[in-house]
Amino acid sequence: MMRLLKVELNRLRWRRAIVVLLLACVAVPIVLLAGYAWGTRPLGDAEIAEAKEMAARDASQGWVKREIENCEADPETYVGPGSGAEECAEMITPTYENYLYRQPMELESLRTDVGAAVVTILSGLMMLVGTTFAGHDWNTGSMSNQLLFEPRRLRVWGAKALAVLATGAVVGGLVLALFWGGASLLASSRDISGAPGLWSDVLETQARGVLAIAVAGLLGYALTMLFRSTVATLSLMFGVAIAGSLLIVGIFGAGATRWLLPTNFLAFVLGGFEYFDESACTASADGMYAGDCMRRLSTMDGGIYLAVIVVVAVLLSLWSMQRRDVP
Amino acid sequence: MPEGSLVASTTTADLVIETKGLRKEFTGRRGTRVAVNDLDLAVPRGGVHGFLGPNGSGKTTTIRMLLGLARPTAGTMSLLGAPVPHRLTDVIDRVGAVVESPKFSPTFSARQNLQLLAGSVGVDRAAVDDALVRVGLGDRADDRFSSYSLGMKQRLAIAATLLKSPDLLILDEPTNGLDPAGIREIRELIRELGEAGVTVLLSSHILAEVQQVCTSATIIGNGRMLASGIVEDLLGGTSYRLRVGDPTAAGTALEAAGMTVRFDGLGLDVITDEPGDRISRVLADAGLYPSELTPVRADLETIFLELTADDRMGATPNDGVSR
Repeated sequence: MMRLLKVELNRLRWRRAIVVLLLACVAVPIVLLAGYAWGTRPLGDAEIAEAKEMAARDASQGWVKREIENCEADPETYVGPGSGAEECAEMITPTYENYLYRQPMELESLRTDVGAAVVTILSGLMMLVGTTFAGHDWNTGSMSNQLLFEPRRLRVWGAKALAVLATGAVVGGLVLALFWGGASLLASSRDISGAPGLWSDVLETQARGVLAIAVAGLLGYALTMLFRSTVATLSLMFGVAIAGSLLIVGIFGAGATRWLLPTNFLAFVLGGFEYFDESACTASADGMYAGDCMRRLSTMDGGIYLAVIVVVAVLLSLWSMQRRDVP
Repeated sequence: MPEGSLVASTTTADLVIETKGLRKEFTGRRGTRVAVNDLDLAVPRGGVHGFLGPNGSGKTTTIRMLLGLARPTAGTMSLLGAPVPHRLTDVIDRVGAVVESPKFSPTFSARQNLQLLAGSVGVDRAAVDDALVRVGLGDRADDRFSSYSLGMKQRLAIAATLLKSPDLLILDEPTNGLDPAGIREIRELIRELGEAGVTVLLSSHILAEVQQVCTSATIIGNGRMLASGIVEDLLGGTSYRLRVGDPTAAGTALEAAGMTVRFDGLGLDVITDEPGDRISRVLADAGLYPSELTPVRADLETIFLELTADDRMGATPNDGVSR
């Protein structure tokens, strides 16, 4: 088996399309982190001075004065129940913070937003790696040639699957380590520290992310070994990702969000995911919705959902490899 | 030459390929199509065995079943004495095969393609270089497979079969697309391998090739075996073209001497294993003197066309067709 695995790893690294995809796996997180770093760069003195100047200019406008007067006449409508007229000027007068549109770097949001995006993109790219790796063997007909040397089909399937899984795990692990290493350096350069427990959350997210990336590669591979066509697998992937979600929500309503692939994927990777569900709302006395109408999908729920998909695809793929004639 | 004579004259232990009642059905939207029908194939050890049949007669399907690429609907098969596909793993290292067109990764070089195959069976890299040199691709070993001509691709496919130092080579149309020089080289290589003790099953529709290269042959049509045996036997005895003043009297005399005679408008065809001077003697004894006595040697093409006439006309051949 090790001999076959070595052969498959060579086959994988000799494919140009796969090398390009793996380079993209490295490049995309770097670009995303760089974009985040730029978007959250600390405010300069000149920017603050400019914002203060704009705030002062707007504060002297006539409409501000009129709004304050209107508010003072009816503060409860403007500010809220129990408010007094003295709160109006503070609320309506522009401050310089209103003119600073950049959010500072925040590690928790980096984990849930950009970090999740990185894992999602890497998973997609690894699916393409698995798909093109298997598809090439079928498209060129070289699978039959390989089986003339090693006729034990399940061993061949297994060696290729292991090669894809190992590549996904190594690339996912390295790239996510690079991403969070960079994020950590960036945070310390800005004297930003995370909340207690943040880094252990990041570590768990990374571990689940690596698993998701590797298994995504396996899923792409297994589906292509089943369909024996790159095009068929890609069509299914796009169909599920786009049309599938719209169809499910369209038919079953917002509550069906629980059964969408992206929802479950994020729940698994992020350690839980909240989604809107109308049936979670409670009706108040005046007939309006009360509560936040959100439900939480746990890591386990998302993991089971993804595991079922992968196991079914793998079993069908193995059956197909063992039973069907090879062209 | 009766059907199945190779089986009759060869014990099972001497057979490198044997199928019994082999059948393959393909089921599609238009129903079930029988590609191979109750095929009993017997290839003896040693030499080059031709596997002849018109397009779509089931040659490639049979080969694919023997090599575990397709699953038979019914029947049994063995390769080098091992029942396949169950024990194919036991013998696959001794079997080299090219099935249909050469199938390699087009973006890899010839060397890379062979290294991957060699690596899967633990053959060292030196064997890859040797195989490439042996088929004349040593100078182009690092070129991409996609840049190869069809002839070079065929050679690479044969090089792949040589990686395993096989006892049995199964070659499916190996000279397809080769130029005349390439065809000659490959035929010589096949002949050399046969002489070196490798048994070669050569599937081909080029009858001259089979007649030149093969020691024995099997002819199939519509998935059934039509004839099988030593090539010389398949060709049958020599016939003679005879012109004589009184064809009726000549026919009577020759038939009385145990020869088969066919009349046509201009003369007689005499079919016999006897030498020509025996015909002259029979005619002279009857007071007849031929104006022409010409030996006519049947070729494999004639035999093949006769046997596969039904196939080409789209009919199903009768059971038990034999020569």
